[in-house]
Amino acid sequence: MDYDPMVMDDAEAMGPVVKISQADSVRVKYQLSNADISFANSLRRVMLAEIPTLAIDLVEIEENSSVLADEFIAHRLGLIPLNSEGVDSMFFSRDCDCDGTCERCTVTLTLHAKCTGDENMHVFARDLVPTSERINSVLGNPIITDADGLGPLILKLRPGQEVKLVCIAKKGIAKEHAKWAPSAAIGFEYDPHNKLHHLDLWYEQDPKAEWPPSEYAEWEEPPQEGEPFDYDAVPNRFYFNVESAGSLPPDVIVSEGIKVIQQKLAGLIHELSEGDGGDGMNGDYGGPRSPEYATGADGFGGYTTPFGNGGNQSSWGGAGGTTPYGTTPYGAGQSTWS
Amino acid sequence: MPRAKSKKEEPVEAGSDVVMEEAPPSHQPESRDDMSVDQDENDGPEDVEDEEVDEEEEEEEDVQRVRLLPGSTPTAASFEFLNEGHTLGNALRYIIMKNPDVEFCAYAIPHPSEAKMNVRIQTFEGTTAIQALEKGLRDLQELCDVVSDKFIDAKEKFAASASS
Ligand SMILES: [Zn+2]
Repeated sequence: MDYDPMVMDDAEAMGPVVKISQADSVRVKYQLSNADISFANSLRRVMLAEIPTLAIDLVEIEENSSVLADEFIAHRLGLIPLNSEGVDSMFFSRDCDCDGTCERCTVTLTLHAKCTGDENMHVFARDLVPTSERINSVLGNPIITDADGLGPLILKLRPGQEVKLVCIAKKGIAKEHAKWAPSAAIGFEYDPHNKLHHLDLWYEQDPKAEWPPSEYAEWEEPPQEGEPFDYDAVPNRFYFNVESAGSLPPDVIVSEGIKVIQQKLAGLIHELSEGDGGDGMNGDYGGPRSPEYATGADGFGGYTTPFGNGGNQSSWGGAGGTTPYGTTPYGAGQSTWS
Repeated sequence: MPRAKSKKEEPVEAGSDVVMEEAPPSHQPESRDDMSVDQDENDGPEDVEDEEVDEEEEEEEDVQRVRLLPGSTPTAASFEFLNEGHTLGNALRYIIMKNPDVEFCAYAIPHPSEAKMNVRIQTFEGTTAIQALEKGLRDLQELCDVVSDKFIDAKEKFAASASS
């Protein structure tokens, strides 16, 4: 393993461990141990809000004689999970150079239903038909998991009523609108015995009797009778329960979540190293808004402080290879990533 | 008594580090002295046009997502990240604190309605805050790589145990 353990404690030095306890087409339950709570929480947050999926974003209504208002139907359509396999190779429509719609940024679905019989008619997600060119044959299909193959109910029509509309599905993330969330819910739990006292359990007589044990309680040692409180203890094992809303399989949500963090980091690393000819940081960074922070070719060489704390100045003469990182990829004068 | 007094004065001295001229330029029109009704009518459309041009320019050049805040020195710097939050901030803070050359690292989201996240890094002599930030980003990437690999391994293990 390449991951530099640095000053990690014993448990952490072994590196993170992942164990899956349950996995099917709807959910994956796994345990992440030897990781910090901050990283585990980043993963949870990113899986909830930042994985791109496909969802209906624009609805052009040609005919709507149902009892539901146009915008009401449009909202319901937006919330229908669409298969997002391959959404990675799509563009966000704001980044696409087409005018309006193309197979690289949108999927068009049509819905046309008229109640011609004597009974009320139910319109389901299966009645949404993808009609545009697509980058693969499943992208944008409504997710249908029920035994009858109907999918979610969109609306009902009385005899004689009709809806005819065109939906434009776009790539997006749940930070913008919850309809793009790939996960229905993410269980996130640690310290089932509350040894760390992060929870203050409300009780009438006895919290042990009144609070049901967590399903993970048997995975960890219960506290010994009269055990003193460990002030140095930190959470170390995290129990995730990722439930898919349908657009992406649960294991893909986890992998994509990690990928989103990495893309975030790659973008920032790229920006920090941008425009320097392998010299480490240069004057461009910091931008026009902090002109006082001009730096020389070797990172901080030639730096003069406007703040009058000259004490620091001397040691920055030739920052070059004198840093502890001089021989690492992080050394000034070396830029191994681009 | 004298001790308490010197403590009180400290914040004033520390505050003088910050150069006020470095405040970001205002978007307000430069002069708004004569605000007669006629002039407002004339100015109105022009202002709107100016703003539109500004927005277009901003869209074309890549918006700088990280900047150094004024008052930073090589070993003690504050960075401002645009469009980042606790997701990056807390994990980055953790991984930067793991670096033995870092004396202090913390993050904050100064106001919930501004999509900005600040990271403060103070290093021991021998490395710089920027280097520590870059190393932090790289280390976090490596951690992601490891967890990603471990998850794929666990998936294969689970599939094997389920089928047998
Ligand atoms: Zn397009």
